[in-house]
Amino acid sequence: MNKREKILEFTEDIVRKFKNLGINVDPNSVRKRLELLILEFKVPENEAYRTVINYLTKEYDISKEKLLLKESPLVKIEDITMPDTWISLKAKVVQLWDPTSPNVSQVGLIGDETGIIKFVIWSKAKKRDVEEGKCYLFKNVVTDSFGGRLQINVNRNSEIIEIDEDIELPKKDISAIGALVAIQQGSGLIQRCSICKRAMSSGVCPIHGPIKTYDDLRVKGVIDDGENVYEIILNEENIKKLIGMDINTAKKIAEENLDRNAVLAELKNKLLGRYLEIKGTKSGRYLLVKDVRFLDIDLGDKVEKLIKEIDTLSGV
Amino acid sequence: MISLRKREVAKRVFAYEFNNSTHKIRESNDDRAPIYVLTPTGARCNRVFVVGVLLEREETRPDSDFWRIRISDPTGVFIGFIGKFQPDALSSILQIEPPEIVATVGKVRVFEGQNRKIVTIRPESITIVNTATRDYWIYETALKTIERIKKMYEKSDEDVKLAWQVYNPDLKEYEKMVKTALNSIREREVKPLEEKEEISEEDFEKFEEEFEIEEEEWDISDILGS
Repeated sequence: MNKREKILEFTEDIVRKFKNLGINVDPNSVRKRLELLILEFKVPENEAYRTVINYLTKEYDISKEKLLLKESPLVKIEDITMPDTWISLKAKVVQLWDPTSPNVSQVGLIGDETGIIKFVIWSKAKKRDVEEGKCYLFKNVVTDSFGGRLQINVNRNSEIIEIDEDIELPKKDISAIGALVAIQQGSGLIQRCSICKRAMSSGVCPIHGPIKTYDDLRVKGVIDDGENVYEIILNEENIKKLIGMDINTAKKIAEENLDRNAVLAELKNKLLGRYLEIKGTKSGRYLLVKDVRFLDIDLGDKVEKLIKEIDTLSGV
Repeated sequence: MISLRKREVAKRVFAYEFNNSTHKIRESNDDRAPIYVLTPTGARCNRVFVVGVLLEREETRPDSDFWRIRISDPTGVFIGFIGKFQPDALSSILQIEPPEIVATVGKVRVFEGQNRKIVTIRPESITIVNTATRDYWIYETALKTIERIKKMYEKSDEDVKLAWQVYNPDLKEYEKMVKTALNSIREREVKPLEEKEEISEEDFEKFEEEFEIEEEEWDISDILGS
């Protein structure tokens, strides 16, 4: 490609970029500027291109980022395969987590019909908060790789626009039969912040500090079927269904023993090592349990079938 | 940098097969890399889930808070050690009077001697459960073992190939083991498996003296939730 062709290509490109922002620049003046820089002053082509764009953005008073970002393509979550790419996407906020750093304004999961991905809104981005369950157009966000997984970052140049459509999430119903092999920290009779419902950690809400609390009962546990592990959360209702303990009985146990941990000990005694049949939806790290019961199946026929199968093994 | 590893799945293996396992696998030289034990039918275990009868619990030395336990399934006996670094299991074991059906989940530990290795469990938790849970464990473990035996015949994946190489097992022996286990749920009279190098109490004490089985430190992978 000779220099003249290059100049024409740059001219078209620049005109199109500005047109996307609703600005009509005169192709002739763009071309003349490029010609002057490249042919007359022998400026390297890419420098000339950049200089013209800089000139025009100043002239029309728009941010350079805006110009370059305007075109980030609308993609589906399953198409996100590379970090450091500018994209736009329509997605529903699936879940918000507690930000662990003051630099992060919001963090959680968003999803569309093709998948779910973590998102981070930086405090510096100064965006209005998004809400769980609502759908948004996330414009000009950047893909990023964190801890080996892809996520999207919302920065100062991004836009979040609420949209009036309901985006369906991929079906992630899971049912499993497995043993409850662990009950993790944060289980038992816990306290939650009366404002944001977050679990208190050592008597302090991560957002609102020391504050009025209310009690709740939950189990964060691990179901293991010998092939996979599922991290599950059982709420008061689930726990009551399994072992008949509700928040009031839990409080009574705590009072009688003068120790909240007595509730946890009781939960461990009655639940650990048992086989549970669970149904739920996968949401990020945890399986949100819809239905849970102790496994109760008749092994009779299954055992006979298995014994017969053994005799056929070596015949393979 | 500490990376959060995925939690290790608890494998289902019968005691007979477990006790025949000698081959350790360490995926990298990193101190934190998980250690696995390969069983003769190719199960790669870092953690196991066992339901069986707690036959004995015995403090290795008086007031040491370091307990040796024996848990039996229909095919043999698992040996486990519980110390103060497994606080949940320790507080539970003090309250369980054997014999009792228990479920335990724990990390696998191999102690290596000059001419013998023993595989043990370091329980993370131990709870009393009912016979239905025990029966399902036997069924589930039988199912998983049969799946592994099938793979052994097919010689398909890497672990299986390694198991052939290391143990060259007589698969019939393990088929018989599974049958013995399943028959125990059918409540029929069954011939016990032929005793094979069952580790006797005296042997074990000698073994302990020889190798000074010591309490383990905190396993950082426990804290990281792997």
